Amino acid sequence: MTPLMLVADDFKAPGPSIFDFPPLYDGAPYWLTKPVLMAIFGAIVVCALAWSAFANPKLVPRGMQNVGEMGYQFVRDQVARPFLGKDAERWMPLLLSLFFLILLWNFFGVVPLIQIPVASHIAFPIVFAITIYVIKIYLGIKHQGLGGYFKNMMFPPGLPKPIYVLLAPIEFLSNLIIAPFTHAVRLFANMFAGHLILAFFSMVGFWFLFEKLTPLGAGLGVVGVIMTVAMTGFEMFIQFLQAFLFTMLAAMYIGNSLHADH
Amino acid sequence: MTLAATFLAAEGESPLLPHAYELVVGSFAFLVVFLVVGKILTPRIQKTLAERTEAIEGGIKKAEDAQAEAQRTLEQYRAQLAEARQEAARLREEAREQGAAIKAELREEAQAEARRIIEAAHAQIEADRQQAFTQLRGEIGRLSTELASRIVGESLEDEARQRRIVDRFLEELEGRPEAVR
Amino acid sequence: MSVLAEVSGNLGAVGYGLAAIGPGIGVGIIFGQGVQAIARQPEAYGLIRQNMLLGFVLTEALALIGLVAPFIY
Repeated sequence: MTPLMLVADDFKAPGPSIFDFPPLYDGAPYWLTKPVLMAIFGAIVVCALAWSAFANPKLVPRGMQNVGEMGYQFVRDQVARPFLGKDAERWMPLLLSLFFLILLWNFFGVVPLIQIPVASHIAFPIVFAITIYVIKIYLGIKHQGLGGYFKNMMFPPGLPKPIYVLLAPIEFLSNLIIAPFTHAVRLFANMFAGHLILAFFSMVGFWFLFEKLTPLGAGLGVVGVIMTVAMTGFEMFIQFLQAFLFTMLAAMYIGNSLHADH
Repeated sequence: MTLAATFLAAEGESPLLPHAYELVVGSFAFLVVFLVVGKILTPRIQKTLAERTEAIEGGIKKAEDAQAEAQRTLEQYRAQLAEARQEAARLREEAREQGAAIKAELREEAQAEARRIIEAAHAQIEADRQQAFTQLRGEIGRLSTELASRIVGESLEDEARQRRIVDRFLEELEGRPEAVR
Repeated sequence: MSVLAEVSGNLGAVGYGLAAIGPGIGVGIIFGQGVQAIARQPEAYGLIRQNMLLGFVLTEALALIGLVAPFIY
């Protein structure tokens, strides 16, 4: 046993249990936990920010409206238009609220004192994914007909016949089960793992520098602190990227349902 | 199955199992955000962006109009300027002609004046000469008479004496020049 | 029977490590080819990036399933 191991013996890396929150205070209803509170808070903040930006829009933008328009144009040009084409404007309300809400909920992961990415509780991504899933199937059946929708999904034209034996079940599975599942899980898993990594490195820093300060452990603690800072920056990038990807996939699913050929 | 059970028991609830209350809260939050951001605010900003596009296009049209107007004004101004220049040139020409006429007239006048003065002078001179002539004629007659009387009065023996008399006479003549004039 | 070597810890971590190999290679290929494509045809940047991200999220799905698999079984 080396001295480092001796020190590390008592160290327990944070596990999934850091995502379990008790009710906020004694006697609170069992559902009133920190993530729930932050989800509501985030929704209110999104509404407030969007209200301050868009409530009274001017032809010449100023202040918050500039920021809001930047977000709007980003979603419109990068997400809606490539996948929805001329229907982009019609679906902007859904995509924009989706993007803003997910982005803010994700950013809660690095905001001091809040420090819980709301989407790291899978219920929240599931809500979004199911909403998109329902919209996707409804639009598909509405625009392509019940038979046409499944035919276009499972039998894309222009392939040799034997391939369909393999392709049809795979396409069915991937479109109706895997797609919504990964849609939700992608957001959840990224926030979950990212938060876990941040928790781990900050725990290393805290443990080796404050709880059990030893000559050998101090170096490790410094590494933990540096990594925490670096990973926080990386995490912010991931948080933005995931909000973008979630919205992009939503736009893609909707676009595929609107137009059969893709 | 037992493994999963122990795993779940060890870690508490699986993070993959959604809490029912979080589903409800999430749906509620999403609905609120969708209603506020999507249904109320997005149409506003879409309208504003469309208006801005229109305004920019309208602005371009307005600018084109203004430019055309400026062009027209410039043309007008240029035409006026050219007209004014022509007018000025015409005026200048006229002035020059007038000046030349005045000059010619003046010269004519001056020449006439000069001629008149010269003629007057000539007349004056002629008159003077006439006067002098008449005066001289009288004087010469008288002097000739006087000279002849003297010559006759003196003895005319020799040539030298005669010459001296003539010289003396001429000296006397020179001695009173005012009489000659 | 004597134990020669022992690995202690969560088997799920080992499983995730194995599951991440394939998607790791896949994501690397996607972005490598994507960058090459952009270098060849910079004017098609928008289209290439869109398809690149699409391929990325599809490949990443495998890694995500690997991540959550320990919680399911």
